[in-house]
Amino acid sequence: MTTGGRVAETSLAGAADVLAGQVVDALRGRERPGLVAHVDACGDRTLVLGAVRLVGSDLFAPHLLTGHLLDPGDVEVVSDSFACFPVVRAPASHEQHVTAWRDWATATALLRLADPGEADPGPPGDADTVLGDPVEWQTWSVHVAQLAPLALPGLGGPVVDAVFGQPLALARGVTRSLLRRDHATSVRLARWTALLHHDRIDQPLDPHLLAEHLRLYAGTSARTALDLAITRRLLEAA
Amino acid sequence: MTTDPHATTNHRATTDFHATTDSHATAAHHTTTHHAHRLATAALDWLHTHRHLGAFPPGATEIGDPDRVYKPLGETALAASLVLREGVAGPASLARARELLDFTWSEFRAGDLLYERQLRHWLLTDPLETYAHFARAGLRHDRLHALLEHSAAVGSATEVLPNRALAVANARRTTGIGAAPDWTALTRATWLGGTPEPWAIDWTTGYSLTHTVFHLTDWGARPHDLPPDLADYLTAWLPVWIDVWTEVAQWDLVGELLIVGACLPEPHLDPAEWQVLASVQHDDGLVPRDGDPVSDDPATRFADHQHPAVVAVIAGTLALSRLLTG
Repeated sequence: MTTGGRVAETSLAGAADVLAGQVVDALRGRERPGLVAHVDACGDRTLVLGAVRLVGSDLFAPHLLTGHLLDPGDVEVVSDSFACFPVVRAPASHEQHVTAWRDWATATALLRLADPGEADPGPPGDADTVLGDPVEWQTWSVHVAQLAPLALPGLGGPVVDAVFGQPLALARGVTRSLLRRDHATSVRLARWTALLHHDRIDQPLDPHLLAEHLRLYAGTSARTALDLAITRRLLEAA
Repeated sequence: MTTDPHATTNHRATTDFHATTDSHATAAHHTTTHHAHRLATAALDWLHTHRHLGAFPPGATEIGDPDRVYKPLGETALAASLVLREGVAGPASLARARELLDFTWSEFRAGDLLYERQLRHWLLTDPLETYAHFARAGLRHDRLHALLEHSAAVGSATEVLPNRALAVANARRTTGIGAAPDWTALTRATWLGGTPEPWAIDWTTGYSLTHTVFHLTDWGARPHDLPPDLADYLTAWLPVWIDVWTEVAQWDLVGELLIVGACLPEPHLDPAEWQVLASVQHDDGLVPRDGDPVSDDPATRFADHQHPAVVAVIAGTLALSRLLTG
């Protein structure tokens, strides 16, 4: 297995990009195959389930932002992805905490769409553990960026509340990432500024100028396009 | 007399809480004081020790390239004048500052050189800006003063960057020359005055904003002349800019941003930021301008790092002054 790991990793990233591109199409109102059709059409089911797990809650951005209807088969695909790549039960490292929160976001998004009356799965910890101290806004904002999949309308929860309570630390993180040309972090944080705007929370930056700047300067990768498409939809919906 | 144990316990708890809070604040205060004092004292010593490397060539009658000797001499005079104005340095440092001021004044031939330059190029503003550092310390050149009064009366404001127009306005205020300008209009014409998105900044613009603050507040003497919206803007974003330019070792600009922190109505003096700048200062007091290797050649060392030394003296002096007197 000298090359197997690398090929699998590259393919997974590629599969996630394809899936992210489909979500972007849906957010822009273009025709796209449903999730079930996409998974069925893919030769390597494990690979595509890995991609589903990576894109996570963002798969449901079109549903939460533009009123797409949930296909019952989508729920099954997500369940399969969780079965194929088991969730972190007792997160210890920072990376595990991030994964646990992203999984929680996926599960919560589904719950909001499939059965609004049902209780939340319960957050996988407190916000401070995964985000750190907002006084240390440099690391805090990087952690906020890692949790960009939680920046969707209607998800709520302790991390969203924590970010909503720190508009200055968020804005400092945005500014720092832009000045460092760390566009991957900038676009993720831009989603959060759009969510704050969506929820009418005052902030010291203009989220519209930020989104437009990133559209022009942050490149055109599938992941970036998805974060910016969600950002735009959040700003339009405000 | 009965004793109420609960009252005693509560009282002690309250006292301890305040003691803890105060001790944290005091520790941070002491750390910044320590770094600011060490930075300014050692950088002033370094400027003083090597001052002759910044002199005009013997017998020179022309200033030559203004950026080579003339401008740095003026900057050294500025730093010395602020050490004397603030008066928070120890007796040895105050004596060195006075000697540096006298040395630079003597290099300018007690103002004659500035006078002759103004006579030859009557619309230039740098003789006024340089003279202001000496005027701040009580020195005066009558014939130059008369030229400057005349120029102010004529009102031929040559076209310069908006922050440079503020430099002229502050130099006139310091020397008591001319009528009061429209400070608001001058301020709003600068990059800072427009409070743009804080990420719309680059290295050059960073220097522009620091100078807007320097001149508007007369190097920290008038912190409340900074309009409240600009003070709020700087309080919000200064930590980010310091962080970003610290990461790429732009020590000269970091030092200037620390001066800005010391010029705010509510000073921004973060011990961690001061610790980083203090940690790059060499044992002999040299403060490197950036992360590039420092030359061993004394003349090159002085030429390359005279400016950050001036910045360090001003930053440390103003921080110390704000910490001691508020």
